[in-house]
Amino acid sequence: MSGIVELTKVTKDYPLGKLSVRAIDAVSISIGKGEFTAIAGPSGSGKTTILNMIGCMDVPTTGTVSIDGTITNNLYDHALTELRLNRIGFIFQSFNLINVLDAYQNIEFPLLLQGTLSGKARKARVNEMLEKVGLTKQSGQRPNELSGGQRQRVAIARALVTNPAIVLADEPTANLDSTTGTAIVELMRDLNKNEGITFIFSTHDPKVMDRATRLVMVADGRVVE
Amino acid sequence: MGVLFLIAIRNLVQARRRTALLSGAIGLVTALLVLLLAMSQGIADNLVRSATTLSAGHVVVAGFYKPSPSQAIPLVTDAAKVRKVLEESTPDLDFIIARGRGWGKFVGPGGTVQSGFGGVTIADEPRFVSTLQLAMQSEYKDGGKEEILGDASRIAEPGAAILFVNQAKRLEVDVGEAITFVTETNDGRTNTIDLTVVAIARDMGMLSSWAVLGNMDSLRTVYKLNDDTTGAFWVYLKDIDRADEVMNSLRVSLAQAGFQLMDHQGDPFFFKFEEVGGEDWTGQKLDLTIWRDEVSFLVRILDVFNVVSVFVASVLLVIVAIGIINTMFNIVRERTREIGTMRAIGIHRRRVLMLFLIEATMLGLFATTVGALVGAAGALGIDAAEIPAPIEAMKMILLADTIPMAVDPVTLALVVVVLTAVTALAALWPAALAARLRPIVALGHTA
Repeated sequence: MSGIVELTKVTKDYPLGKLSVRAIDAVSISIGKGEFTAIAGPSGSGKTTILNMIGCMDVPTTGTVSIDGTITNNLYDHALTELRLNRIGFIFQSFNLINVLDAYQNIEFPLLLQGTLSGKARKARVNEMLEKVGLTKQSGQRPNELSGGQRQRVAIARALVTNPAIVLADEPTANLDSTTGTAIVELMRDLNKNEGITFIFSTHDPKVMDRATRLVMVADGRVVE
Repeated sequence: MGVLFLIAIRNLVQARRRTALLSGAIGLVTALLVLLLAMSQGIADNLVRSATTLSAGHVVVAGFYKPSPSQAIPLVTDAAKVRKVLEESTPDLDFIIARGRGWGKFVGPGGTVQSGFGGVTIADEPRFVSTLQLAMQSEYKDGGKEEILGDASRIAEPGAAILFVNQAKRLEVDVGEAITFVTETNDGRTNTIDLTVVAIARDMGMLSSWAVLGNMDSLRTVYKLNDDTTGAFWVYLKDIDRADEVMNSLRVSLAQAGFQLMDHQGDPFFFKFEEVGGEDWTGQKLDLTIWRDEVSFLVRILDVFNVVSVFVASVLLVIVAIGIINTMFNIVRERTREIGTMRAIGIHRRRVLMLFLIEATMLGLFATTVGALVGAAGALGIDAAEIPAPIEAMKMILLADTIPMAVDPVTLALVVVVLTAVTALAALWPAALAARLRPIVALGHTA
């Protein structure tokens, strides 16, 4: 059975002056629906490049990337954007919230871009997400009024609010203290277990790796185990 | 869309200092443009008022009588028949007046003035007295009283004349004193007539420098004209904007009534003497113009003023536009990661473009609205303060003693719309750059 994410012999070269640098080399990964997968490896090993391929933010030099049955290699920007909006949720290392919007509005933002829910349904969905991440009381606060952990919770709620097939998290605990980082991973794990959401996250933190149901180790642009 | 507006507003509020500086620059240019346009409108209003008081009706039916091929006299003969056609055929007619036309030298105790002599039949002119603003004695005489002497309605008296302030100063005459009009009559002889100054009116710019108003019968006497002759018919309409249309309609009616017509030329009658004098015909030809033709030389000055105003405002606008482009590039650079985040989440390029255009448009709308209101308030204040024109030549061009300002709400709205559009256009390039950013590149950006 094919996975929700299929990378087949994916290679990515980046130009560097007159030369080119190979960031990942013949990477093949298949990730099934509902997995809680960690892509681990040292800095510069190619973890983020792999996540960018899966997140439709970059296209491979060779090989194919399939997301929920759609091969993304030859899609134009418009189709890739639609795919990101409707099928993929993103959690960033630096939270990447929109500073001028409060927690509620940050979470609501992807729903507004989709434009499919009524105002009432949208409000209910955002409040549900706020409750899931434990930030109901902080809904009116802007990112600069929230702690790092609270910001990452808002980012998780924003990633999940559209009911995506996959949630990608790039080093989600890297900017958090150990306790908060553990709490965030636990939250992601609970959402994975209870709601069957597929999580793929990069990390080089052994404690985070321990929580993953599947570990993909990357070194020098290749999958090593 | 609503969230894009919200983000735009909050970003503008967050960057208060930058928003204030940029708004200030845009608002300043807007206010300056509004002031220039208000002055242009003020001059234009004065031009219409002075032209249609001293030089023309809304439509002018005048002409030349040529007793021989080499002579050209600015007369309308068979005046009663012409008037009848005008009364019966003028659409949108308000009223018609007949004005005599003369030219010569006015001699007073202090000197002489070369000027036109407009013959007025006050019974024909219901608005004559109310249109002229009489001057206080102190305005034309050193040590004069702060009191208006004379009465414009006395122009009905034989031998009466009304001067303007500049003429009264040069002739050194007061109300009740005598001046002499010296002219060459239609048969080539010199004739004179003594006139009594019955009122002295405030100047109306350049036009009042060569206009003395007098009793029509006195003009007939000095030029030996019969009762069925006049200088010109000035036709006033209920709507001045229909002047062109009515002139063309009257050309047809007068031609059908058997009058010979000159081809229309957009110049005042005194520009046509040489050309008409050289034409090989005799008898009467009528010449139809509109008020704008009779003051075309002033309209050109106004046009030049408008061109200079627009040029000055355009230069300033280009400078501000460059400032906006530069600022928007900085904004895009500062918010590159935010653009990357939004692109990753799933915002389309078109919406990123819109986000920055909305931001620039809101800034432009706010700044130009405030600037336009400040400019309009300034213009109305200057007009109300009746600030005197500092130099004599300026009075000629302004067509008034004070700096005239008139604010037209439609022009005001147009200025806001155009300058807001310019602001938005200036932001187009940086906004397009933001929209073209690839999410992976934008997310990797460090500000």
